[in-house]
Amino acid sequence: MKLKRWLAMGLVAASGTGLSVASEDSTASIEALKNQIQELDQKLRILERKQELEKEASEERSKNAAVVSAGPTGFSIRSADTNFVLRLRGGLQADARYYDGGGAANDTFLIRRARPIFEGTVFKNFDYRVMLDFSTGTSSSAANNGFLLDAYADAHAYPWLNFRVGKFKEPVGLERLQSWNNLLFLERGYPTQLVPNRDVGAMVHGDLWAGGLQYQVGAFNGTADGGSGDFDTADGDKDVAARLFAHPFKSVDADWIRGLGMGISGTFGEHGEAPRGYLSPGAQRFFAYRAGTGAAPNVVADGQVWRVSPQAYYYWGPFGVFAEYVISSQELLQDGGGPGAGAGDEIQNTGWEVSASYFLTGEANSFKAVTPKRPVTLAVGGGWGAWELTGRVGALDVDNDSFPIFADPAVSATEASSWGVGVNWHLNRNVKVQFNYERTDFKGASSNPVTSQDENVFLSRVQITF
Amino acid sequence: MKLNLIVAVGALGAALIAQPGTGVAKDVKLLNVSYDPTRELYTEFNAAFVKYWKAKTGDQVTIQQSHGGSGKQARSVIDGLAADVVTLALAYDIDAIAEKSRLLPLDWQKKLPNNSSPYTSTIVFLVRKGNPKGIKDWDDLLRPGVSVITPNPKTSGGARWNYLAAWAYALQKNGNEELKARDFVARLFKNVPVLDTGARGATTTFVQRGIGDVFISWENEAYLALKEFGSEKFEIVTPSLSILAEPPVAVVEKSARKRGTEAVAQAYLEYLYSEEGQDIAGKHFYRPRNERVAAKYAGQFSKVKLITIDEVFGGWQKAQKTHFGEGGVFDQIFRP
Repeated sequence: MKLKRWLAMGLVAASGTGLSVASEDSTASIEALKNQIQELDQKLRILERKQELEKEASEERSKNAAVVSAGPTGFSIRSADTNFVLRLRGGLQADARYYDGGGAANDTFLIRRARPIFEGTVFKNFDYRVMLDFSTGTSSSAANNGFLLDAYADAHAYPWLNFRVGKFKEPVGLERLQSWNNLLFLERGYPTQLVPNRDVGAMVHGDLWAGGLQYQVGAFNGTADGGSGDFDTADGDKDVAARLFAHPFKSVDADWIRGLGMGISGTFGEHGEAPRGYLSPGAQRFFAYRAGTGAAPNVVADGQVWRVSPQAYYYWGPFGVFAEYVISSQELLQDGGGPGAGAGDEIQNTGWEVSASYFLTGEANSFKAVTPKRPVTLAVGGGWGAWELTGRVGALDVDNDSFPIFADPAVSATEASSWGVGVNWHLNRNVKVQFNYERTDFKGASSNPVTSQDENVFLSRVQITF
Repeated sequence: MKLNLIVAVGALGAALIAQPGTGVAKDVKLLNVSYDPTRELYTEFNAAFVKYWKAKTGDQVTIQQSHGGSGKQARSVIDGLAADVVTLALAYDIDAIAEKSRLLPLDWQKKLPNNSSPYTSTIVFLVRKGNPKGIKDWDDLLRPGVSVITPNPKTSGGARWNYLAAWAYALQKNGNEELKARDFVARLFKNVPVLDTGARGATTTFVQRGIGDVFISWENEAYLALKEFGSEKFEIVTPSLSILAEPPVAVVEKSARKRGTEAVAQAYLEYLYSEEGQDIAGKHFYRPRNERVAAKYAGQFSKVKLITIDEVFGGWQKAQKTHFGEGGVFDQIFRP
C-alpha cells in the first residue's frame, strides 16, 4: 500500500510539473496574442484616424477650391468666395431669308450672329465683359471694329451706384437694350435704327428702390443713328446719353400690374460723321443719304444731334407687349458738289413700334430669357417646349425736308411701315427656332427695286445660346 | 440722388453721435484669431474682459474666437480674415502677418511687455496611465515600437516647439553636433504615425482615438487632458530639458483701425497682463508672467530646464527658415 501511495504521489507530482510548463506556455501565447491584437488595434485606429483627417482636409480643400460649373447660362469657374468668376458664354444664329415677289436682295442663308462671350468678376466688385462677333458681313472700319461688340469693365459698389467704362450699348433704345438672344422678331424694329448701338464711353448707372427705378447716364463718342463706334474720327465732340426706367408697381401684390415698366431716354451732342440710312425688316436699304465724292453731292452731320425715346413694356403671365417711339433730330450739311451744295438743315426722323407676344404653353412672358415649362427632350415623355405667337406693327418716317438735297427721292423712300407675325419655338432654355413673316409698304422711291413694291419676307432662324 | 444725400447725411450724423466722448454706449465686436489649444483660456478671459470693459466704459463688447493651427491661422489673416487681435503660438507667425500683409508694424513685439507674450508654456509628454512604455526622456521616443503623437510643424505652432525642443535636447546630448541632432529628430518622426494639422487635433488623436504611446504636448494642453479625461487614464512626464514657449499677442492695427476697434483691441490685450488676466491664464495651466500670480500657480508645474529659441536657434526667423521653410530640414527628414 505504501508503495502504491508513493507511486501515486510521484504521478501526481510529475503531472503537476507538466501542467505548470503547459500553463507557462499558454500564458506566453496569450500575452503574444494580446500584443498582436494591440498592434492590430493601433494599426486600425491609425488607418481610421488618417481617413478622418483626410476627410477633414478634403472638406477644407473643397471649401477653398474653385468651383467649375456648366448649365443653361454657360460655363463658369469661380473662386470659393465668389470674388473671382470667369463665365464662358456664346451663341449662334443661323438665318434664312426668302423674299416673296422678288426685290433687290437674293434669298439667302446667313450666319446672323456668332458670338463668343467672356465675362466675369475680379476682386468682388469689378465685372468685365468681352463679346466678339464672327458672323456674316461683320467688318471693321476706321471708326469701329465690328468684331469687338462689348468690351467693358463695371465697378459696382452698391446697387444704386455703378460705374462702367469701355464699349457697350448706349442706354437709349428699349429693344436695343434687350439681349440679342431674347428678341421677339429676327430683326429689331424701326426705333432701334434711330438710336445709337454700341459706343465707347463712361457711364454711371444703378437701381434705386430695389429696382423700382433704374437710371443710366453717360458720356460717349457719339454715333450716327443705329451705328456703333469705338474711335471718334469725325469730330471731337461727345454725346451725353441718359435713361430713366421705372417699374412703379414692382412691389405691389397684384400680379396683373407688377410687370409694367416705362421710361424715357435720350442723347444730346454735336456730330460730324456721315449719317446712316435705314433698312426694312428684310434688311433691304430703303433710305440712304447722298454719299459721293468730287462733284457729287455728299451729306454729313454738321451740328446738333438729339434723340428722345419714350418707351414701355408690360408683362402679365404669358402675355407681353412693348412699345417704343423715337425722334431723332440732326443738323445735316450737303458738303459735296452738285445740287444743294453747301445747304444745311435740321431734319427729324421718327420711328415707332408695338410688339406683342403670347405663350400658348403658359410660360411667364418676360423682357429677358424664358424657360420652357416642358423642354423638348428626345426621351419618351419629353415636352413640346414653349410656343410663342408674336406680332408687331411699326413705321419709320423720314423727314420730308431730307428730299431732294440730302436724299434722292427716286431711290430713297420717305416712309416704311410694316406689320409682321411670327412663331417662336423655345425647345429649351438654350435652343430657339423662329419663323417670321413681315410685310412692308414704302412711300416714294419708285425707281428703287427695293421700294417700288411691297416687301414680303419670310425669315427663319435657328438659335443656340449658352 | 437726393435720397442718397439724405442717407449720407444721416450716416454721418450717426457716426458723429457714436464717437467716443459723446456719452453714448457702443456695441463693439472683436475677432481674436488664436491657435488651437487656447479655446478654453479665451472663453473665460473674454467673459472677464467683457465685464471689465462694460464697467469701465459702458460699451458692450462681443468677442468672437477663431482657432486652428497657428501657421494656418496666420495664413488666414494674411489672406484677408479680418482679425482685430491675433494670439498665436509663436512670434514667427505674427512676423509673417506683419511682413506679408503689413497689417501691423514689423516691431509689433515691442508694443506690449515681455515681448508681447503675456504668458508662457513649455512642452511635456502625456503618456497613458502607468506609463506602459516607460517614457522618461526624449531618447525614449526613438525606441522601436514607441508610437509618438505630435502635430505637423508646417501648420502647427505647438508642433514647431515640439520639434525644436527635441532638437535642442539632441544638441545638448551630442555636444552641439547638428548632424546628430538632425538624425535624432528624423528618427523621432519615424515613430509618428499620424500628423494632425493642429495641437487640438493631435490631442484628439491621442486622447480620444487612443492612438500612440506618448503625446508631445503643450504643457497646458496636457494638464487640460488630465483635468477633462481624468488622471486615472493619463499621466504627464516632464523631460529633462524642454523649451520656453512664448505665445505672443498683437493688435492687427490696420484691420482694427478700419473697424474702429483699435482702442478696445489694445485694452483687450493689455488686460491679459492684469492680475485677473494672469490668474485666468494660470487657471488654464499657462505659466503667468506676473510674479505674484506665477507664485500662486507654481505648484502645478514641474521644474524643468528650459532653453530659449534665441539662445539655441538664433530666434524664430532663423529657426523657421532653417527647419520649417520650403525645402528646410523638416521637409528633408520627414517622408510620410
